Amino acid sequence: MLILKNVTKSFGGIIATNDVSMKLKPGSINAIIGPNGAGKTTLFNLITGKIKNDAGQIFIEDKNITGLSELQITHLGVARAFQITNIFPSFSVKESITAAILAKNHGLNNIWKRFKDHPAQEESKNIAAITGLDEVFNIQSDELSHGDQKLLDIALALAMKPQVLLLDEPTAGMGSEERWKMINRVKDLWKKTNMTLVFIEHDMDIVFNVAQKIYVLHQGEILAEGSPKSIKNNQNVIDAYLGGGQKKNEST
Amino acid sequence: MNVSIKDSFKKDAIYSVVSWIALLSLYFIFNDHGIQDIITKVAILGLFAMSLNILIGYLGLIAFGHATFFAAGAYTLGLFLQSDFIIEYNIGSWSIPIALSLSVLLPGILATIVGVICIRLREIYFSFLTLAFQMIFYSLILALVGITGGDQGLMGGFPKPPFLGIDLGIHFHFYAFTTFIVILAVFLMRQIIESPFGYGLRMIRDNHERPAALGFNIRSHQLLAFIIAGSLAGLAGSLQALLDVGAYPEWAFWSKSAEPLFMILLGGMQTFLGPLLGALIFELLNDFVSANTRYYGLILGLVILIFVLGFKKGLLDWIVIRGRKN
Repeated sequence: MLILKNVTKSFGGIIATNDVSMKLKPGSINAIIGPNGAGKTTLFNLITGKIKNDAGQIFIEDKNITGLSELQITHLGVARAFQITNIFPSFSVKESITAAILAKNHGLNNIWKRFKDHPAQEESKNIAAITGLDEVFNIQSDELSHGDQKLLDIALALAMKPQVLLLDEPTAGMGSEERWKMINRVKDLWKKTNMTLVFIEHDMDIVFNVAQKIYVLHQGEILAEGSPKSIKNNQNVIDAYLGGGQKKNEST
Repeated sequence: MNVSIKDSFKKDAIYSVVSWIALLSLYFIFNDHGIQDIITKVAILGLFAMSLNILIGYLGLIAFGHATFFAAGAYTLGLFLQSDFIIEYNIGSWSIPIALSLSVLLPGILATIVGVICIRLREIYFSFLTLAFQMIFYSLILALVGITGGDQGLMGGFPKPPFLGIDLGIHFHFYAFTTFIVILAVFLMRQIIESPFGYGLRMIRDNHERPAALGFNIRSHQLLAFIIAGSLAGLAGSLQALLDVGAYPEWAFWSKSAEPLFMILLGGMQTFLGPLLGALIFELLNDFVSANTRYYGLILGLVILIFVLGFKKGLLDWIVIRGRKN
């Protein structure tokens, strides 16, 4: 379970997140939505320890992870994929996932074994298979399509065997068909792994179809939270984010 | 074909033994001390350049002060062999193995101190900080005249007592021993580069921000790489001191750090043996060009320009990439 209690962060005089509280059930799939600059990525950065919060507390299960480093939090079971694909360009898919597995187990400190003969190479096949990267397993990362690079970013996070997986706009930069393909794959992953999944997304069709619970961030604060149905009908959300179009769709 | 752990390790071990036998054969093929000494120098400079390439080619950090450790290794060996310690403690025949071990250990300790400070920075800030440390080290060598001989260097030579049947005073023994040590060091380096540790270095080079989100502590990894590179440069320096029977302050001057950079540029930084090939080109240019013209610097500059602008990479990198395309 991931719990945020009154988490606040400001940069200079600008409040990025203000008194944000969340309680994400174990094994649930959740979406965070909101306009650009609402504080969504900042929230991910706070959860993962990339930046420190000014006030409030963050828990995983019963463990207070507030103030811990990014490294410590990663080892406690929080992994993430990034909005801008964050991979290792000179590595093949196989090497990338193997390296991520070894990073998780402190195996990258070993100088006596050969990387290419390491048993973790076998484990990387499984992760490539569940992320649909098995066909490009031996291809160098910088030669992959944009979609496969996004999948590889997710595969790296999955190699951490996380309890909580944070996906920052997994469908960013994709066409409509490719977006659905990606999100269905993410949903499959979630079903297979039983982890708590949180994703940031701008495509409302995807959000309403996939998420069990939605948090709407607006100007660093939680404007609303609840099921897709309740969010769709929330007048504050419609006014601040979804706009008239959504209201019209609802009425039709 | 699946290659087991032992196989890939064994393969490199066999390559190393074959390479040493080939180098020993060259000694008899070129029955000329001048050429034999060039091969020895290329091996030593190649080790120096390859040690720097751990940082440049694999870690993505360009160090401008790598000669600090080369000079530290040379002075450690020279000062130890000249010391009264050897006579007092009757070390005798073990003095060379102990001196060589210290020439790896002390530059390693120095690299730890310098590395702890430098690896906090990246890019040009890292580069110039290593250079700053080098200039401090150079100034110390000049200032501590009573110990280092100041601007004259370590004069008077030093004893090279035989050990384990090896007499470094005999030209062939020296050649065989030096090439053996270099090949052993290159084999060790190969193991490090091909290990999970080596791939950790490549991860940092490719993307130094992502590893933290994978639970990978890059700071300690970078430091260990810096120590390994410094220790191996120290070993190269000590072999150079054995060859020249002395140690000189210019080995700690900034221009000495430029030499392995040129070798890496000439030979290539993406292939494991690229810097070694670069050392060969560099040494050939040095020996043959400077013998025929006083415009050595101009010729070297032109050759580097041709490599950088023409090949757009080092020679071995270019050959390997071309080979893959074909």
